[in-house]
Amino acid sequence: MTTIFGLARRSPRLVVRVLGFSFAVIACVIVAVFVVLSWQTRDRLTRAVAQNLELGQRRFADHEARRQREQLLQAVALAENPTLKAAVDTYHSERELELPGDQLQRTIQLELEKLQKLLAVPALSVTDTLGAILASAGPGASDWPVGERVQTRAAAQTGPSEAVVRRGPRLYLATVVPLVISGDVVGEFFLAAPLNDAYARELSEEARTDVAILIENRVIASSAPQAVRDVIERLPLPESGTVELDGIEYVVRRLTAVDAASVYAIASVTDAAGTATAEAAMVLAVIGAGALLLAAIGSWWLARTLASPIDGLTTAVAEMARARDFERPLPRSGTSRELDTLADTFDALRRAVAEAEAESEATYLGVIGALAAALDARDPYTAGHSERVADLAMAIGKEMRLSDEDLDTIRLGALLHDIGKIGVPDAVLRKPGTLTPDEFEQIKLHPTLGARILKPLHFLEAHLAIVELHHERPDGRGYPRGLRGNEIPLPARIVHVADAFDAITTARAYRPGRPATEAMAELWRHAGTDFDLEVVHALTATLPTILTARAARAAVVSAAAGPADMVATRMGSLVPFRARSEREAVPYDAAV
Amino acid sequence: MAFCRHPGRSVSNPGVVALVALGAALAWPAAGGPVRAGEVGSIVGDVRVVTPSSRRLVTAGAYPGRHVGLPGEQVSTELDNVIVYVDVKGPGAPPPMRATIRQVDEEFVPHVVSVTTGSTVDFPNDDLIFHNVFSLSRSATFDLGRYPRGASKSRTFNRPGIVKVFCHLHSHMSAIVRVFDHPHFATPDDEGRFTLPNLAPGRYDVVAWHERVGEVTHNVTVTAGQASTLSFSLPLTDSR
Repeated sequence: MTTIFGLARRSPRLVVRVLGFSFAVIACVIVAVFVVLSWQTRDRLTRAVAQNLELGQRRFADHEARRQREQLLQAVALAENPTLKAAVDTYHSERELELPGDQLQRTIQLELEKLQKLLAVPALSVTDTLGAILASAGPGASDWPVGERVQTRAAAQTGPSEAVVRRGPRLYLATVVPLVISGDVVGEFFLAAPLNDAYARELSEEARTDVAILIENRVIASSAPQAVRDVIERLPLPESGTVELDGIEYVVRRLTAVDAASVYAIASVTDAAGTATAEAAMVLAVIGAGALLLAAIGSWWLARTLASPIDGLTTAVAEMARARDFERPLPRSGTSRELDTLADTFDALRRAVAEAEAESEATYLGVIGALAAALDARDPYTAGHSERVADLAMAIGKEMRLSDEDLDTIRLGALLHDIGKIGVPDAVLRKPGTLTPDEFEQIKLHPTLGARILKPLHFLEAHLAIVELHHERPDGRGYPRGLRGNEIPLPARIVHVADAFDAITTARAYRPGRPATEAMAELWRHAGTDFDLEVVHALTATLPTILTARAARAAVVSAAAGPADMVATRMGSLVPFRARSEREAVPYDAAV
Repeated sequence: MAFCRHPGRSVSNPGVVALVALGAALAWPAAGGPVRAGEVGSIVGDVRVVTPSSRRLVTAGAYPGRHVGLPGEQVSTELDNVIVYVDVKGPGAPPPMRATIRQVDEEFVPHVVSVTTGSTVDFPNDDLIFHNVFSLSRSATFDLGRYPRGASKSRTFNRPGIVKVFCHLHSHMSAIVRVFDHPHFATPDDEGRFTLPNLAPGRYDVVAWHERVGEVTHNVTVTAGQASTLSFSLPLTDSR
């Protein structure tokens, strides 16, 4: 626990830390990768789309150039129509002779109409050598009225060519072929299509991209919406390449350039790439989100893997400390060799501590036992008293079916119950005869004294009650506290009865020991007031067994003639269990 | 046109035609009935075709002009395509003539032929391929159909005028037949010289005609027993 400016701040949990760090790092990496990838993808997509559009436009431009060449050839072939040429040539000769040319004109008209039916072109027209229209056919024929002159570059000079021709309100893209007879140009043949939106749309459908027709940077026809037309007019369009305006990238290519007119294919890269870019971003985002989720799960798992064995160890140790149970080994993590080593070390430490503790406890017990024995030895009359009381109390406890733990407590507590008498002067303690009230007060101090002596020994905590309260009486007239009935712990009550029994049956300097029956009579007389009734009952029940065992032991002891080994004097195992009903059946004279 | 014409072939035929024409002119003097020698005069002169006489071939046609002649051949002059005539009305029908326009190397040879009314022109096919002869001209509208090498068809021209002749199979081919109702016409020779004999004395408008130049007219006075001289200069441009 760290303290900053007086505020207690708990260290963060390991699991949170690990989770935080690993996830933060992975998340940063994923986000960075996402950003870079999406940027790159968009860039690449845009370039790919631009290339694609460019390729498409180039293909269409080639296709369109080929188509125009073919149209030119077609027009050239058409212009070889012998009747047409003969009629035009003859028309000239007749005009020289000032003969009427209407019949020849009709012949020309008829020929044109036949061709138009075959070709379905918007307009076919033939002019004489001066450029005046002789005849025209097709839906656009009204734009090519007979007699009007068509201004073009002289096809005679250039051979077959393409030209932009203004006819009335409309502009036509015309293939112009000279009509040649015997090397002489006798007229011109026009195969024309109007440069209008319909034409642009037709091209656009073939090109799969918008088409705009410009004359001197003015859009005269286009398949594109007005907005794109405006854009086109604001841009200097290259022959081919990309231009950018208002953040939108366009791929443009000039398909045709005839006179001042140019036909451009134009496509917005931004529009074309938009959908694909959005889709790619979506895919990347889904992958990124998935990766983040996986990272979160992985981080959580990692954190758990690191933290949970430690938590397990901590819990095990805490449980051990709480239960004061140092016998069980710590659980092994099974996931971390380091943690297992830690647990091993801890176990070794725990074992060493437990051994040391047991050793010191044994030492204490030895010392205390010696102390008690020494105390008993101060007065020949009380020699062996503590041991006998311990045996009696154990027997009573067994009779009352107390637990092994309680029996242990009772035995040791009984052994030490009179330890406080160390502080009582010999003069008082060994005084034969009646004690003065003052002397009796001094005697009465011994339970408190004993408790004070033993208090520093923590492992004797449970036994203190016996030492301190073995002179309390159920009627509340005992000392030192004057507790009543059940306020007095059972072990203390048991030891009280056992103490009294032994005191009565043991000789004193001023009187001889009385027989057990008398002692029992005495106990029964004061049962319920001085002595706990149940305990007296239990003693009554178990007494015969005790006496039998004592007699047997006396024989052994006398034979060995050695001091009693107090650790070995466990009578419990020698006293067979008897049912309460049997005990009650034992007759005794309460009046004795 | 004279562009691809072979001199050897092209010169001989006009020569024949010219001789025939000369005979006709001698027999049929202008201005009044038969005249005796000494009572008539003649016009002699020369024609020059002024540059550029070299014609540029327009090559973009579906059928570029094919030339199968020997290398180094001289291109004949435009003089073969010139007709010099006086516009007079004869007393009666002039004697008919016979002329030939051959089809050679996808060309009509000669390109220009002058005949009197009632004359017949033969159109023999000397080419290896089929040819056709047709005309849309007002004075003689006809179509002789297609015919192979060796075959020949002919047509008699009864009305004066300019008849343009074409081939339906080869749209670049054309020929001109000028039909006169008198014999006073001539084609200049290789030096450009021409003679219009047998003319009654008087003033004449002499016309030199070329299809791309049109008419060039000079006024000349013919005196009996004498030859009036005359010079024509025809400015030929590339196109009409």
